[in-house]
Amino acid sequence: MKKWTVGSMVRIIVIIAVIVFLYVMFFAGSRNAIRILLSIALYCTLGQMWNLLSGYAGMTSLGQQIFIGLAGYSVAVCTATYGLPLWLAMIAGAIVCVIAAFLLSYVFSRMSGMYFAIATWVTAEALKILFKSWGFVKMGAGMTIKVSPYPSTAQIYLIAVTVCIVSMFVVYFILNSRVGLSLVAMRDDAGAAASVGVNLFRTKLFCFMLSAGITGVVGGLYYLNQGSIFPDGGFGNSWTIAAVFIVIIGGVGSMTGPVVGAICYVVITEVTVKIENYLNTSLLGVNLIILGAIAIIVILFLPNGIIGTIERKFDFEFIPSKRHAPDIPRNAVTETQKK
Amino acid sequence: MGQAIINGILLGGLYALVGVGMNVIFGIVKLTNLAHGDFIILASYLSLAVCTSLGIPPLLSLVIVIPIMFFIGFFLQSLLVNRVISRGPEPPLLVMFGLSIVIQNLLLSFFSSDAQHLPTKLDTRSITITDQIAIPTLYLIEFAVGILVIFLLYLFLRRTYVGQSIRATSDDTMAAKLMGINIKTTYGIAMGVAMATAAVAGILIGMGNNFYPTTSSIYLIISFGVVVIGGMGSIRGTLFAGIIFGLALLLGAYFFGTSVQMLCGYLVILVMLIVRPQGLFSK
Amino acid sequence: MSSTNVTTSDVDASGGSILRVENVSAHYGDFRAVQNVSIDVPGPEIVSIIGSNGAGKSTLMDCIAGLHQPVSGKVYFKGEDITGMEPHHIVARGLTLVPQGSHCFVRMSVEENLIMGSYTKRARKKSKNLLEFVYTLFPDLKEKRRFLSGSMSGGQRQMIAIGRALMSDPELILFDEISLGLAPTIIKDIYARIREINQSGMSIVLVEQDVKRSLKTSAHCYIMLKGTVVLSGRSNALTDEEIKKAYFGI
Repeated sequence: MKKWTVGSMVRIIVIIAVIVFLYVMFFAGSRNAIRILLSIALYCTLGQMWNLLSGYAGMTSLGQQIFIGLAGYSVAVCTATYGLPLWLAMIAGAIVCVIAAFLLSYVFSRMSGMYFAIATWVTAEALKILFKSWGFVKMGAGMTIKVSPYPSTAQIYLIAVTVCIVSMFVVYFILNSRVGLSLVAMRDDAGAAASVGVNLFRTKLFCFMLSAGITGVVGGLYYLNQGSIFPDGGFGNSWTIAAVFIVIIGGVGSMTGPVVGAICYVVITEVTVKIENYLNTSLLGVNLIILGAIAIIVILFLPNGIIGTIERKFDFEFIPSKRHAPDIPRNAVTETQKK
Repeated sequence: MGQAIINGILLGGLYALVGVGMNVIFGIVKLTNLAHGDFIILASYLSLAVCTSLGIPPLLSLVIVIPIMFFIGFFLQSLLVNRVISRGPEPPLLVMFGLSIVIQNLLLSFFSSDAQHLPTKLDTRSITITDQIAIPTLYLIEFAVGILVIFLLYLFLRRTYVGQSIRATSDDTMAAKLMGINIKTTYGIAMGVAMATAAVAGILIGMGNNFYPTTSSIYLIISFGVVVIGGMGSIRGTLFAGIIFGLALLLGAYFFGTSVQMLCGYLVILVMLIVRPQGLFSK
Repeated sequence: MSSTNVTTSDVDASGGSILRVENVSAHYGDFRAVQNVSIDVPGPEIVSIIGSNGAGKSTLMDCIAGLHQPVSGKVYFKGEDITGMEPHHIVARGLTLVPQGSHCFVRMSVEENLIMGSYTKRARKKSKNLLEFVYTLFPDLKEKRRFLSGSMSGGQRQMIAIGRALMSDPELILFDEISLGLAPTIIKDIYARIREINQSGMSIVLVEQDVKRSLKTSAHCYIMLKGTVVLSGRSNALTDEEIKKAYFGI
């Protein structure tokens, strides 16, 4: 079906090598290396999901923390309040997110563009307040995840890497399927896509629920590693900041982008922590200032992100999705159609 | 209850002022200004710096803070947003998002996360009407200033050549270009004007409430609420929307307690987005 | 000031014409809307550009007015190279476009619309006289000057758009399919006004699909097909046969 070129051979070898490396690190990596790789895997998954929503499905969500928080709290409630085993709690977290996405989609489905962005943001803020004043989840005091034996960081890492790899394969197959085609058709011209029979609502709903579920798993794993969850963190907009930064840095609408973006994100955060420790003072918010400034600069000067720019320069997509964002500005397209 | 209604209406004037700047940008530049809350809090801090260094009352610091904010707005629009405005709605949205993060954290690292308050004696006084109801003087000032600023903005957009050109641009960008209007300058001025309203809002907020860098998200949500209820680009709608939103918050606090009052506000926004996304007051 | 600064070589490039378009090409994405088009408007006369839907007429107008960037070629106005200039600079020099579909400021009154027309410095001083001129040309507008332009009929909106263009004190006006979707009596009336405008000394470029009316109104005529000029000449010298062939490309 597909010709085996040198390029595709190299590509597959590199991908396999990276996967093998990630699993070897489970046995061979130092505690610190595993901790950092765990962060990268989680943030990469988060970025992939935001990219699927915003970069491909045209739904710019500013409320991904809805699912992080819901899943984190689900794990905490299931284990601490009901004493359920961990695997069941994790699955429950993902299911809660998918159900929440399904219910929210009825609210959000009528909105587009900035209204969708505002609605997701407002929902996340509302949930934060709700959890802060809800006795069942111990209000602002937060909840502790109670399982025994408590999994080690390495074990959590193993799950996180698997989730990350699986989620990338899922996104890859979606983008190279009929759903992917209709997604891009929808993003580039919703009206035209609808008129050729793309079921907008079902396609969007599918993406929204999938991204909610997997983002939920990320949230569950993150707070499992943290041990406890608080409303301000779980529903905090730093999650959206991270997702937006990771995707923008890497490049919207590119699958390799979030990988690079996640690495940048974690490295910048780690480096500022190191500098703080070295100076023995707290540089409050400095990492976020750097992240924000980099994001603005990339938007202004590298509209396709770092990876997107490189890929276009050499006309080579490391993970081919065949679903580039259009080169010509969108308003130009609609103008020709009007004429 | 009566007290809650009166306070809700009075605070509504302030909320309208909080939202009007965002609405101007929404209507004219067609941009969701995610940094609006941070601009407001930035103004509060600017005023704090001016008041403490010059020893003047907050309302007087407006004279200095308004021009500063106008120019910050004009230059941010000219240097950052205008460059990406032709690339569709997401890039400018994300630039504002980035700005929001940068401003919030700059304030955090300069002023720390401690709660601040502008030095004023007005916030403890009130006018007693009956033994049940008293009107806080500050609320009255906030209401009056809010309405005054919105009225001035309305006059500016209606009666001046620049204001007219801003309205023309929001009506039909292409035709406005053909009239000889420099669209990018117009956007810059619009952002500057929006920032000037944010300056007034920030100072009033600083006089009546504690503020710290992360409070900006509350004011962003209030702006969203005012825009969504009042309708995009409608200045008159903004005023009513502010009052409706103020009533929703204060009645929410009256019935369910202050801890969930913002929740009532969020619910109002979500219901509005579902039922009537074009706003109550737009055609 | 600027007109006195024009060097002789610039004037030579335009050959003394008020508007000269040289080998302009323009694309929308991959679509080549206009290819190598040259047009000349010698003096205060009416030049028409005729062509069917999609012939590239509107894109050409947008290129002249600065709304669209040509990929190659030059546009000279009064001898000055205005290629790729921002529209507001071009309007300030005395060239304006009445766009297809009138594009009124619908939330502003008729008079506010007209006054917006005199936004440029050169026109602002003369705003009062210009307004009077527009009102004598279109008495209907004076009567309804307080109405919102969004509440007006299609023909009246077209009059607002024309009046608004006149308010910028132009030397050259481009009209892009102003008769589109209007009733025949209104079209006739608007064409009479266009001739009046021309007689007051303004140059006019008229873009139309309606062959007969354009030929009758204009002195010179260009026929476009699929982005290129296929025929041009004095309007009264072209034969029906030639025009039919050029228009339909048979």
